[in-house]
Amino acid sequence: MSARRPSVLLVEDDDPTRTELARNLRLNGYDVMEAAMVETALQHWEQRRPDLIVLDLGLPDGDGMSVLFAARKEATTPVVILSARGEERAKVVALNRGADDYLTKPVGTAELNARLRAVLRRAAGPAADAQGIVRNGSVELDPMAHVVRVAGRVVDLTPREYQILALLLSHPGHLVTRGRILRAVWGEAYQGDDHLVHVHVSKLRQKLGEADASGDTRGLIVTEPGVGYRVREARPES
Amino acid sequence: MPGPLAGWRAWGPVGASAITAVMLLFATALVELLEGPVGVPTASATYLLAVIGSAALFGTPAGIGASVAAFLLYDFLFVEPRYTFTVADPGEWLNLILLLVVGIAVGQLAAALRSRAETAIAREREARALFGVSRALATRVSTMRVLDAVADVLLREAHLDRVWIGMARGGAAERVVADTGSGVAPRTPPASYYTLRRMPGETPAEWVRVHTPTVTRAASPASVPYRVILEANAQTLGSIWAMTREGGGPPAAAETRLLAAAADQLGQAFEQDRLAEEARNAEVALRSDELKSALLESVSHDLRTPLATIRAAAGTIMDRHLDPSREDVVASAEAIDREADHLNRVVTNLLDLSRIEGGALRPEIEPTELSDVVQPVLERLRAHLAKRVVDVELPDTLPLVLVDPVYLDQIIANLVENACKYVPEGQEIRIRAIPLTELVRLTVEDSGPGVPDESLSHLFEKFYRVSGSRRSRPGTGIGLTVVRGLTEAMGGRVTARPSELGGLAVDVDMQRAADEDETAHEADAAIGGAR
Repeated sequence: MSARRPSVLLVEDDDPTRTELARNLRLNGYDVMEAAMVETALQHWEQRRPDLIVLDLGLPDGDGMSVLFAARKEATTPVVILSARGEERAKVVALNRGADDYLTKPVGTAELNARLRAVLRRAAGPAADAQGIVRNGSVELDPMAHVVRVAGRVVDLTPREYQILALLLSHPGHLVTRGRILRAVWGEAYQGDDHLVHVHVSKLRQKLGEADASGDTRGLIVTEPGVGYRVREARPES
Repeated sequence: MPGPLAGWRAWGPVGASAITAVMLLFATALVELLEGPVGVPTASATYLLAVIGSAALFGTPAGIGASVAAFLLYDFLFVEPRYTFTVADPGEWLNLILLLVVGIAVGQLAAALRSRAETAIAREREARALFGVSRALATRVSTMRVLDAVADVLLREAHLDRVWIGMARGGAAERVVADTGSGVAPRTPPASYYTLRRMPGETPAEWVRVHTPTVTRAASPASVPYRVILEANAQTLGSIWAMTREGGGPPAAAETRLLAAAADQLGQAFEQDRLAEEARNAEVALRSDELKSALLESVSHDLRTPLATIRAAAGTIMDRHLDPSREDVVASAEAIDREADHLNRVVTNLLDLSRIEGGALRPEIEPTELSDVVQPVLERLRAHLAKRVVDVELPDTLPLVLVDPVYLDQIIANLVENACKYVPEGQEIRIRAIPLTELVRLTVEDSGPGVPDESLSHLFEKFYRVSGSRRSRPGTGIGLTVVRGLTEAMGGRVTARPSELGGLAVDVDMQRAADEDETAHEADAAIGGAR
């Protein structure tokens, strides 16, 4: 079993603070990538598509908000602002512009972790239950544990496969275009590479099918020819 | 012309008559001379000269008097039959009537001229006096300081006996702030005085007698003072008080106008002073607000950043659900220790800043070896420096410096910490010292992005931040101010310049200890050669 750990991009310019936060987040089960500047943060975002971004605003080479904008342009990845600016105005601006939460430094690690769990849970969309777990038939996706189970058995998915499934499951019954999947999982640069999506979805279907003896997952992901995919309306496992 | 005219006026009616008589006698003699031996038939016109002269000098009545007298004299002495007032020839009547008409006309003209001249003189004096008041006010630093000058001008130009100015603040009794008289300042307000009642429009102001009910009347006031109230913005600020010359009666119209104008100008000047002070106060309040918010922002960042690290590290250690390795625990504990030390420096800087600003620094100067201070600082900042390379060049021949080692420690720590903020890990910070003739120069420089030339001179100002560069980060702006304050308190000097390494170089010049001259000179020569 290879339950992947949720990945966090930690953007913070103060070295000691970043080091200690990263240590704490790793111990709390996250896969942490660190960035001290806007530039490196954007690189990480482009290359690795973290599940979550923790973002400081005052960075040496620019405003942390530019990282938020870059992420929002392509995906709904949760962004939690962690800033020394505590005024109401700064919070309102950041939240209005797409941040999911705003914490003021210095923050306790217990609160920080609780907030991160909360935004991850919410990120699973309205399909998720109180623990953030999304269920659709025999398929179960746990964003906190970063694990997918079919009929109780863990399915070994690659990060991309996991992200595609999470995206589709969070919009049950709705069409999700290939372009949208590409943007959210690979990034703007991959626009047009529809076959990437095709290949990964096939692989995903295959893995889910293999894990499920009952054949319940066969009709889970429906292809809308030439457009994208749709996950059937969620129905609890009987 | 106005001069003699004004002078003649002072002769009075008796003098005028006497002079007219002399002139008539002189004219008579001339007529006698011309008519008799020379035989000029119309010499009577000579009397015109006396009539014109008298009328011009003493006015119409004198002119009429002179012409009647001339008529009678001429009639009596020269008109046939002589030595009687009978006029036989009707032609002589014409002569006499002409004399009379000329006398009256010239008298009138001269009187009008004189009155105009006198008005002009009075106006000029009034204008000069007002100009004196205006000039005193225009060149003032504060209105209060020119009140003496204004009182002097009024005393001189309004022909007064004594002028004093009383000021009342906020309804209090007036306090005499300027007085041309000597001795005890007059009691204000007196039992009884005249006050100037201003009239709307062109109507002249008038003096009104006032009795102060609360003041017991002096037994017999020698004279009653005149008061002009100073007003600004419909508020009474004080008064100009004047005592007229003995027996002079109330000030004349011109003098009254002068007093009123002076009072108006003073009132306006006080109003301007008040507005200027309000503007100054507002400016001061604004500046101090700006400084306060800059300090708060700076302090909140400088304190919160280490606190953020401390809380994160403490969270790792204390969370029972986590299972940190031994290395993790040690590293987090070290971070707490290091950041607590950093916090301590921030607090020390803040305290030093307030001591610097309050002038309360008391350095304990002693001969100190630079390396004794530099090394411990670097040791303490080792964790802070992380993987940055610190290149220390302190020659063995370096003389001792006269410093307070505690201050110098703080100076070096601030400079190194400042450099750290802008130097990425793996890059260089250089600390070196060279002896100069009477000084030792310690330089801390970095390979960071540097500071634009125009910002170098402002670098040590409180809360100054270099704009538009990567050095622009919140929270800086106290460290270098403290460096300068501490250095200057020890009699040293600190300057900033671009570094050869690409970043910023800060030179701290310190007094060198007196001995070891020889070594220093050798070193100086070596440095000179190197350049």
